[in-house]
Amino acid sequence: MSTVLVNGVTKSFGRTTALDGVDLEAGPGVTGLLGPNGAGKTTLLRMIATVLAPDRGTVTLLGRDPSRPEDRTRVRRRLGYLPQEAGFHRGFTVFEFVDYVAILKEMTDRRPRHDEVRRVIALAGLEPVSGKRIRALSGGMRRRVGLAQALLGDPGLLVLDEPTVGLDPEQRLRFREMISYAGEGRTVVLSSHQTEDVTALCARIAVIHQGRTLFVGTPAELTAQAAGRVWTDTRRAPAALAAWRTGDGTFRNVGDPPAGADLIPPTLEDAYLLLVTASQREVTAA
Amino acid sequence: MTVWHLDPETIRRYAQGAAPPELAASVEAHLIACPGCRDALAAHVDARRAAAIWDVVADRVDAPRRGWPERALSRLGVGEATARLVAATPTLRGPWLLAVASVLLLTALAAQADERLLRTFLVVAPLGPLAGVAVAFAGGLDPTREIGLAAPYSALRLLLIRTAAVLSVTVPIVAAAALALPGSPWRAAAWLLPTAALTGAALALTARLTPVVAVAVVAAAWVLVTVPIVVAGHVDAAFGPGAQIFWLGAAAAGAVWLAAARDIVAINLGRTG
Repeated sequence: MSTVLVNGVTKSFGRTTALDGVDLEAGPGVTGLLGPNGAGKTTLLRMIATVLAPDRGTVTLLGRDPSRPEDRTRVRRRLGYLPQEAGFHRGFTVFEFVDYVAILKEMTDRRPRHDEVRRVIALAGLEPVSGKRIRALSGGMRRRVGLAQALLGDPGLLVLDEPTVGLDPEQRLRFREMISYAGEGRTVVLSSHQTEDVTALCARIAVIHQGRTLFVGTPAELTAQAAGRVWTDTRRAPAALAAWRTGDGTFRNVGDPPAGADLIPPTLEDAYLLLVTASQREVTAA
Repeated sequence: MTVWHLDPETIRRYAQGAAPPELAASVEAHLIACPGCRDALAAHVDARRAAAIWDVVADRVDAPRRGWPERALSRLGVGEATARLVAATPTLRGPWLLAVASVLLLTALAAQADERLLRTFLVVAPLGPLAGVAVAFAGGLDPTREIGLAAPYSALRLLLIRTAAVLSVTVPIVAAAALALPGSPWRAAAWLLPTAALTGAALALTARLTPVVAVAVVAAAWVLVTVPIVVAGHVDAAFGPGAQIFWLGAAAAGAVWLAAARDIVAINLGRTG
């Protein structure tokens, strides 16, 4: 059974439609939402985190209906959530902050709660800074604090909104390791606008653009959609949907190739670009 | 260099925790410098007891520092977890409280010079605690609001804990400012029941609105109703004995409605949908 089941979900904020009939299914392992800024990823993740209710459509999480109060509480007991802009009480130490969230997760018995706090702090590699105030930590370390609180209570569903945003390459690699570890035996749904993260981590991806789902499948299936549509040339091809000069001086063109083009194997980024650009053009033409 | 070693009986007593304090101190001083005796001791240590001791040590090292509000709440019998939630309430930060205290105190002092400002004080006084309730749930001031919304902790309980915390701090501030008021003593307390009624109404509205919007609606209604009355000089119509009974009834009605709508309240604590 799928841990996350989203059917025909629509959500508007005033006149802006953030989600327009989105479907999504996610089970154990890491599922990634890929899309540009403003695509609707955060709105969808907030729904999966039970923070936001859809205008239309249904959301089923861990086999329960979060629109019912008693089901929602049960889902929240098995949910870990890292928001896009996770805020911290900056005067708290790392331990104090994670401990505070543990209380919000109904861990009111002090001794076992502190044991659990120590466990997730160790999982996130934060032991050396456990006693430090959060305001003294770097952005990467704060992101780890956010991940640590999400792992409290060993949740069956982990929702991570742009977990690697703002991290330097080394921090991003370490974070990927942690997310990959967290995805063993539980369902992780994360969002990113970075194809490298999704390629490295996700067994399944959903491409979201302008509130609609453009693709759901494996990274390999998405990449295959761009087969025969990427070529190199000494010049920028006028018909290309996207083209850029690479390090060796040739142009990498993505789109409908001319006859006799020097085709090369596509990457996930090429396929993503094709999908999003084509969708953008459809909307503009309409 | 160490030339003597602990005898087996001393090691056994120390490992069992049966050594008197002066002997234990002597043993520990020796163990620091003697790897051989540390190895000998290790064979006698009960692993479960050592783990339990280590847990206590780790807990004391890691345990969050408790500020004076948490210590005070603990002395009053409030649970450790609840005291921690209260201490994290945004409204209870110094600058906000200072602003409320300053406005009320200045109004009360000004009322010494001009009787009309006494009426202003009575209208403004309930707004301080009410604004405190809104601040306690304002997204911009509660950095962990988004994480809190996805947590299973009872939203109604959190609402009540924070409201009680806000009132327990802001009401004494208003009361202190009220002591500086001129005129009859009952006026120093005339704002109390309206404050309770407005807070009750705002909490009841959280079944339909977010707390910040609920407080804004109640505050606007309060100002629109009371300002024309007191400007016309009918202070008793809003704060007299008859009005006080009305405010008491309104506070009770708000509490009853909140209890009846507790499941719906859970949805509206700052949610945008």
